[in-house]
Amino acid sequence: MTAALSPVRKSILPQNGDSWDSIAQRELPGTAETDAVAMLQSWNLHVFMRAAGGVGRLRSDNPILPSDVIFVEPPRA
Amino acid sequence: MYDLVIRNGRVVDGSGMPAFNADIAVQDGRITRIGRVAEAGRREIDATAKVVAPGFIDPHTHFDAQLLWDGYAKPALSHGVTTVVAGNCSLSLAPLKAEHRMKLVGMFNQIEEMPLKAFKEGVVWDWESFPEYLARIQKGLAINVGQLVGHSVLRLWVMGEAAMERTANAQEISAMQQLLRECLDAGAIGLSTSYVDMDETLKPVPSRYADAGEVDALASVLSDYGRVLQIVPEFYDPDLTIARLDQLAELSIKYAIPTTFSPLFVSADNIEAVERVMARVDEQFARGARVWPQVQTRPIDISFSFAVPSLLFIRLPGWYNVMRFGTQDEIIEAFSNPESRAKLVAEASSQMALWSFLRLRHVASEANQKYVGKTLAEIGEMRGVSALDAMIDLSVEEKLDAHFIAESMGHNQDEQVGSLLRHPRVHIGASDGGAHILSFSTYGDTGYLFGHFVRDRGLLTLEESVKKVTSDTAAIWGIPDRGLLQKGLVADIVVFDPAAINRGAEVYVQDVPGDGSRYIRDAHGVDTVIVGGGIAWSAAEGYTSDARGAIVPPALTVPAERIAA
Repeated sequence: MTAALSPVRKSILPQNGDSWDSIAQRELPGTAETDAVAMLQSWNLHVFMRAAGGVGRLRSDNPILPSDVIFVEPPRA
Repeated sequence: MYDLVIRNGRVVDGSGMPAFNADIAVQDGRITRIGRVAEAGRREIDATAKVVAPGFIDPHTHFDAQLLWDGYAKPALSHGVTTVVAGNCSLSLAPLKAEHRMKLVGMFNQIEEMPLKAFKEGVVWDWESFPEYLARIQKGLAINVGQLVGHSVLRLWVMGEAAMERTANAQEISAMQQLLRECLDAGAIGLSTSYVDMDETLKPVPSRYADAGEVDALASVLSDYGRVLQIVPEFYDPDLTIARLDQLAELSIKYAIPTTFSPLFVSADNIEAVERVMARVDEQFARGARVWPQVQTRPIDISFSFAVPSLLFIRLPGWYNVMRFGTQDEIIEAFSNPESRAKLVAEASSQMALWSFLRLRHVASEANQKYVGKTLAEIGEMRGVSALDAMIDLSVEEKLDAHFIAESMGHNQDEQVGSLLRHPRVHIGASDGGAHILSFSTYGDTGYLFGHFVRDRGLLTLEESVKKVTSDTAAIWGIPDRGLLQKGLVADIVVFDPAAINRGAEVYVQDVPGDGSRYIRDAHGVDTVIVGGGIAWSAAEGYTSDARGAIVPPALTVPAERIAA
């Protein structure tokens, strides 16, 4: 017997080599890429701010870690 | 004649069933009789008006280093804790190659706030493999230890420096699986990983470079042994916490393993968020997953001085960088130079409510004694400056030996915390024993549970609280033969006065190797602590030489050639 789960904010775990661009293309295909990247970054400040803030910085061009949770929609009301 | 008889106690046996009056006899380290015991014991304890319970089990500690110089995990044992789980949050001291020792010390220093000098002066590095480390701590062990394998350490062993740069390839994952098997064979209680921690250079710890496939592969090994996966999620955000617990739940169901995440705090500003997390926990348990949130009993207090880095400043990069990387002179210069001071003040000024609320707890100079015990708001008023400036000025005047405390910062809503602690799918834990030694005392959480939540507030019953920190913990972690008072089980027992048990005041002591200091709390109301049938501590005798601590669970097969003589 498996009980159903309530819907929660949709997220993904990165694939190897993922960047904002690749996630935008895969997860938000109907949105212009620059807009999609901007949306992803605003929904994932825990990752985006890592590069901007310096603390926890990984690579200047790609702050996404292989273990990160990446939200692909805004917070639910 | 029995080895030990405990007479006339009120037995709370850890099952959650009502307390009852009985004697307990112990022979050869095990409980041999519960009832009326006519025969005498070589040692007898009069437990009249006292509770006799299974020894408490603390599932979230970082005693890995302390156990190398203190097999009692002082003062945890004196609080009635007879078993600790070490190696949480992706960090264990084994398996560890010699060339990675200082890297790991740096991580322990950064994440768990453990002093570098203690490692340098308190640790003889004579192990590399996991069995060697267990053999090392087993000498003189008075408390039982469940030892997790740290995921960051596994990666370091297999990948070297690349562990801090990239995902693992198939060969490396296979090597990590094999290494984990060797650790589990030797008696590891599970695997720990972290999604939030940073190393001493403020880069993510190695476990954060692992992709989901790597964690899945390691969980498959845990499945072969039925062992636990512990994680630290992004606990500051409920959506992230829920995403992580969903990830854990999938692994738990796929591999039929228990999982646990810590910490989960509840404060006035996140009650709804915690309700959402707990609703998800309930749903995942209903699916058949085991995703145990760990909740600590004590409110959050944080002490600090600018002599050592404090995680209280982690969200103020300018301050944290100065604390983390500056020498004493450089920190004093940063506070004294008008330009750098102005930058720091500007960065911290948005949190003036926090600085005002801080209290000065210790200074060395006579001139500033008059401020001890006052808030920075009060001190600022006396000096005609802001609370923030008062903190900086005092630190400079005291050459950084001014100690401040932020008391009861969160996790302090009794009704909400009590409700969580009582929840059947909440695991009481997250003490962090042995870590953060200059930020707060991690000892006395069980005294606070029984003194505050059970006796003073009546938010939990004695029986359910004992069950929570004994048989529940043993069941979650697969610790055999302990956690209950039952005939045939190992005699890990605590005798305490339910009218007096509590945690003492937080005190500053200098008992860490390398002239180090820490905050601790003494135990109140604990009478006797028995480990493996031997009295390890009593209020009358203090710590004894009867050290019968064990590694739990016991090793399956221990390759003899890997164990140090």
